[in-house]
Parts: sequence; C-alpha cells; structure tokens
Amino acid sequence: MRRGSAVVGTLRRRIHDAGGREELPGNLVRAEGAPLTGDAATDEAYDGLGSTYRLFSEEYGRSSIDGAGKPLDATVHYGSNYDNAFWDGERMVFGDGDGEIFGRFTASLTVISHELTHGFTQYSTNLQYQGQSGALNESLSDVFGVLVEQRELGQDAGAASWLVGAGIFTPAVEGQALRSLKAPGTAYDDDVLGKDPQPATMADFVDTTSDNGGVHINSGIPNHAFYLAAVALGGKAWKGVGRIWYEAVLSGSLPADCDFPTFARATNDAAGERYGAGSREAEAVAEAWSKVGVPA
Amino acid sequence: MKIEITRSGGFGGITRSWSLEVSATEAEQRWLPLARAEGGIDHADAPGGTGEQRDRFTYRIAIGYTEVYVFEGRPDGPWRELIDRARSAKAAPSTASAATPPAAAPPPAPSPADHHRTAGDATPEEAAPEEARDAGPGKPRELL
Repeated sequence: MRRGSAVVGTLRRRIHDAGGREELPGNLVRAEGAPLTGDAATDEAYDGLGSTYRLFSEEYGRSSIDGAGKPLDATVHYGSNYDNAFWDGERMVFGDGDGEIFGRFTASLTVISHELTHGFTQYSTNLQYQGQSGALNESLSDVFGVLVEQRELGQDAGAASWLVGAGIFTPAVEGQALRSLKAPGTAYDDDVLGKDPQPATMADFVDTTSDNGGVHINSGIPNHAFYLAAVALGGKAWKGVGRIWYEAVLSGSLPADCDFPTFARATNDAAGERYGAGSREAEAVAEAWSKVGVPA
Repeated sequence: MKIEITRSGGFGGITRSWSLEVSATEAEQRWLPLARAEGGIDHADAPGGTGEQRDRFTYRIAIGYTEVYVFEGRPDGPWRELIDRARSAKAAPSTASAATPPAAAPPPAPSPADHHRTAGDATPEEAAPEEARDAGPGKPRELL
C-alpha cells in the first residue's frame, strides 16, 4: 500500500481520441498545457482530470492518484454509440452514449472524477470489486466524485445536489442523474430504465449476483452515510468529512475484502484521530453510520 | 430458440435485457457448443473477472437452459456478434430494469439433464434464477 505523498507532483494530462473505435489508447489529441481543442469531450475530460487532481493534491496533499505523480490518461470517443465510461486499470475511457438514453459521459464532471477516483482506490486500498468491498469501491468514487464538483462550484454541503451523473441522460429519460447520495433510490424513474435501485440503509440491502454483487446498487448505503455526516457538519464537505474518508482509506486498516462495518470503524477512528474522540465531527460520522444501519 | 441476454454493471449499474430468436440449428451448431466449451474453465481473476477494470459490463447469455457469463473485457468475437444482433433486433422485446429484488419469483425449474451452468460450478441451488440467489461470485468470460 502506498500512503499519501507529502511531495505534490506536477499535473500531467494526456487525452486520446479513439475515433469511435474500441481500441486504446487512440490518438493523442491534447497533452498538458495544450490549448482547447474545440472538441467538447476532449476538453471536458482535460478539465475534469485537472479538477480531480486538484482536490487530491491541494486539499489532501496527494501527488496524483498513486501518490507518486502518475500522469493522468483518458480516452474519449470510445466505440460507436458506446453507453458507458470505465476505468481500465490505467486510464479513464469515455463513450459518447447511445443517443437514446445516454449522451456523452464527459458531460458530467462527476463521471470524470468518479472514474479517476477508481485509480486512487486502486493505488491505495484496492478494494475487491465484489459485494460490500466492491460497493465501497464504488462509493468512494461517488463520494470523491461529488466532492470534486462541490469544490469547483464552491458549494457548501447544504447547497450541493449530491447527484452523480447529472446531465448525461438524454431529455427522453425521466431522471435527473444516475445516483443520489442525498436520496438513494430517487435519481431516476423511467419507463425504459425502471427505477433507481439504490438502497439508503441496510434494511434495504440488495442481495444479487448481478453487477458484481450489486456494487453500483448497495453503494447507496455508504454514500448516504457520507451525505448524512456532511450535512450534519455543514460547510465544505471536502474539508471535513471528505478528509476523514480520505484518511480512513489511507489508514492501512482496510482489507481488500472490507465490509461496511469495517469501513465505518475506520472512518470513526479517522474522525477521532483528527478531531478527537467525542468531537462534533466524530459524533456526526458515528451517527451517520447508525442511521443507515451499519454497526461500527 | 430464444436467446436472452442480460447486461449488468457499467458506470450506471443499470441492468438491461435483450432477446433474440435463432433457429434450432444455429443454436445447436454454433452457440450451445461455444457455451458448453467454456464449462469448467477457472478464470483466474474471478470473482468479477474484471481484473483492475471498473464500471465495465457483464453479460449473462441464456441459450435455453444453458447460460454463460461474458465479461466486456475484449470487444471482438462471436459473443460480441450475438450481443450486437440481439441489441439491433427491432422485433425482439427489449427491457430494462433495476436489479431484480431478491424475492423475484423463480421460473419453472429446468430439468437437471438440460441445465448446463457453463460459467461456474453448478449446484442444485443455482437452478434458481440468478437474481433470486444470494450474492455469489460470477465468473464471466471475456468476450472472445
């Protein structure tokens, strides 16, 4: 495991264009310091990587996703009508959407920051992508994903949308985003897509073999715990609860098969260490986990 | 014969399903042998079969009572062709849904003689529908 680096490196972004093919990395179209290209996906990816880098670097002192200044690589225009974005272990990859349900995935900063946070998780805890540890892996991407956006917008916890993927649905879809940390299960309710399946509490935990054991579904529970702690404390969530979550990830106490209670204890410990046992922050975190039904 | 394809995962975690009718000859000569040939393969990076990849799709392909899990890791090959055909089959019903709740009603139990769980270790309990079972490790193939 690599701990956070005290030495902040230089931001180095490389955006490639797959040209509608499913071959990586594609052609380099914008490197660090190069001017706007005029291609929305390319420039959104470039800016989004910068925003994500700055959260980890300027707030938490981490040099890129690996703590050692790793260049940030992304590929846009992947595939034909490709309705997804993913992290391939080395780079972020963004499709343009099918035009029916999804538009281009770079249209939401939270999608870009979500994918890059998968890189941070890979180089820190590398939580197994299955069941509860997989849901925690997804939740970390959602949590830091929305924090990147909140920081860019200068939003306090009470003013933020807490939505992941707002703006990537086409107008034909009845939904405002893919997930909501504020109200899991309410992000969309559409004739074609069905209803947002995320639970907010353990009482509604979903047992399934689909989606690697529901990693994008049960992530609603730790997502909501983060939201509850953030709004209880108010102010800038990336500075308070966000730092607690970050320090819990780097605490060395999270096994690769971490379950929700183990993660909750790590955040309680991190809050106690930074702010003191019995502090307002420690109580907010403990209360949040209690409300979502995760014993710590 | 009806082939049903269910896609889960992806950034959105939205489950979608497509189906395709193929002739019995095509199913028996092309798809069933391909699915059965993958039985018993121990995929090194299961569960999930995704390695370090995140937010990718996994496909469950059911050809009658034979099912196989296919990971989106590589884009080419016969499974990709089948998936593309199903997605473009305008006449076939296309549905999308969130994760099926664990209380989903099971379909009629298949005959053990006809049931081939080619992507994992089949047990009598696994004859229940996928979504009705407790979470367990899927062992998807990469698209060949």
